[in-house]
Amino acid sequence: MSSCQTDRTVPPSCGRWATLRLGQIAFQRHFDRHGFRSTCACVCGRSDMAACGKGLDKFMFSLRLLRNLQLQNERFLSTSVCRLAVGGSSEQPPKFTPPSKPVIVDKTQTVASTRSHLSPEFIPPRQRTNPFKFYIERKDMIRRRKVLNIPEFYAGSILAVTMADPNASGKMNRFVGICIQRGGHGLGATFVLRNIIDNQGVEICYELYSPRIQQIEVLKLEKRLDDNLMYLRDALPEYCTVDPDMKPEPISPTGEVPVNKLKVRMRPKPWSKRWERPKFNIQGIRFDRSLTPEQMEHAQKWAQPWREYDMLKEYDTSKLEEQILSEVQREMSK
Amino acid sequence: SFNSSCSITALISPNFFSRSPSHLVGCIRTVKTTTWFDEHLTEDNQEYMRKTTAEEYRRQTAEKLNPLKDEPWQRHEWTEGSRRVGLVAVKLGMVPVWSKTGERHVVTMLQVQDCHVIKHLSKEEFDGHTAALVVGGKNVSPFNRSESQMEMFRNAGVPPKQKVTTFKVSDNALIKPGTPLYAAHYRPGQYVDVTAKSIGKGFQGVMKRWGFKGQPATHGQTKTHRRPGASGPGGDPAKVFKGKKMPGRMGNVYVTAHGLKIWRVNTKYNVLYVNGSIPGHKNCLLKVKRHTRAHKHTQTRK
Repeated sequence: MSSCQTDRTVPPSCGRWATLRLGQIAFQRHFDRHGFRSTCACVCGRSDMAACGKGLDKFMFSLRLLRNLQLQNERFLSTSVCRLAVGGSSEQPPKFTPPSKPVIVDKTQTVASTRSHLSPEFIPPRQRTNPFKFYIERKDMIRRRKVLNIPEFYAGSILAVTMADPNASGKMNRFVGICIQRGGHGLGATFVLRNIIDNQGVEICYELYSPRIQQIEVLKLEKRLDDNLMYLRDALPEYCTVDPDMKPEPISPTGEVPVNKLKVRMRPKPWSKRWERPKFNIQGIRFDRSLTPEQMEHAQKWAQPWREYDMLKEYDTSKLEEQILSEVQREMSK
Repeated sequence: SFNSSCSITALISPNFFSRSPSHLVGCIRTVKTTTWFDEHLTEDNQEYMRKTTAEEYRRQTAEKLNPLKDEPWQRHEWTEGSRRVGLVAVKLGMVPVWSKTGERHVVTMLQVQDCHVIKHLSKEEFDGHTAALVVGGKNVSPFNRSESQMEMFRNAGVPPKQKVTTFKVSDNALIKPGTPLYAAHYRPGQYVDVTAKSIGKGFQGVMKRWGFKGQPATHGQTKTHRRPGASGPGGDPAKVFKGKKMPGRMGNVYVTAHGLKIWRVNTKYNVLYVNGSIPGHKNCLLKVKRHTRAHKHTQTRK
């Protein structure tokens, strides 16, 4: 008779091991490479060494108990192990083992993202306001975020927003578009979605914290080469057309956000703004397709190369960001 | 005792003209008569002064919170036409606010910081018609206040305040000097008037100050684009009337915004959310009082 064993894991010498613990009963199963299965178990209800050596009938009883327990504990083991084991030396016909439940991949991504991202509207601008005002605003923002899930997104991501509208049929209207700009600070933070519907460009500016917004869904999470994609108004329409019935793409909870290094082709000039000028600092346009090198050089006349050395214009938000991020994460988890 | 406020100019020193001015290069001292409170004190003494004042403030505020130690005056019933005292608040900033129907409004956040009633002026003392209460706002250091001001604060048992205003009050709304006032004084849905000093713009021209149209930019205008133009009628009065709108200093005057609705009151932090915009810069002190609908320039439509 095997000795009394509590939950002790023995390192695998051959084959696979599974150490399980169920209440007061601990048993070990192992089978070697040849598929033999030998079960050594012991009932240690009162950790009685004497009970182990009582009689064969006790041993048989414990075996049956084991098998039942083993069937119950299938969830803890992989299916294959269970199946093989059961097929082995069983006294009764094998009980029907239902297949394990399929794991449903939740499209709304209930897996919490391991990326710690602080939404840009939490970072206060450099002003002479009392930081207490930002603190109170942040409390209201967190309260709203607890009710509505505002996901992480950037300029260049494709979003679908459902908003309550008293004049629409069904009282809701849904708009899908590419986010071209994120502006504002605090509760008044906004984002602009652009799409082309029936050959008509439509831009809608939504407020993140408006109570009229019922759902914000990220259909495609990606970044672009610029933070502000207002030049898409002067780009070819193919770059702004988003299918309104687009299915959400799975978002990886870990790793960096993918950067789409797309360089956009523009319509012929005139544009709404002179995007070639260095003050906009746009990386995402194919200027060689629309402008000559002479025009590009001419645009450089408006360059202000001293600005990068201007120390008064520096605003380092790293420490502030860390502080605010930890505060927000703490409040959200409450 | 603390230093008095600055007096009229006095001679700098008798030896000033005898010494060469080169030693004064780099030393600019504009206030030559008074000294800072810690100028002639040692480091330890400076720290001690600061600590004691802070403790004193805390003790004074705590004392005033205890109704047993400091019995309040009798409360009377409200009658039609009675006026309550107002508050002194600090302007924090502006935020959007949404109503239950989804309409968006913009509000200014006002925080009531250390508001205490300082003095009671009876009808005879004040103007002969109504009684008044003197209320003070934010706490400040006592070292730069004059002796007469400090006497007033000491009588009330209250730390010295940055802004001190009088509110005309009816007799059934008198409050004992020393009682603290909080944001819960007002409820959401009430209307207030807010008075503050507008942002100073300095010497400004007539277009910005009075909204004159100026002159066209082209079509032969010689050196005249933002000038006032004519200054009045011709030979009959043969003068410029008093009060003619001309360039001058703009701003830094008391301006009142009337009939502002209170959307929300945060009693934990003493913050009032008041509709619309308010004169004054951020962190400026304001006088908040109940709106009486007597003035025609109101934001309410009633």
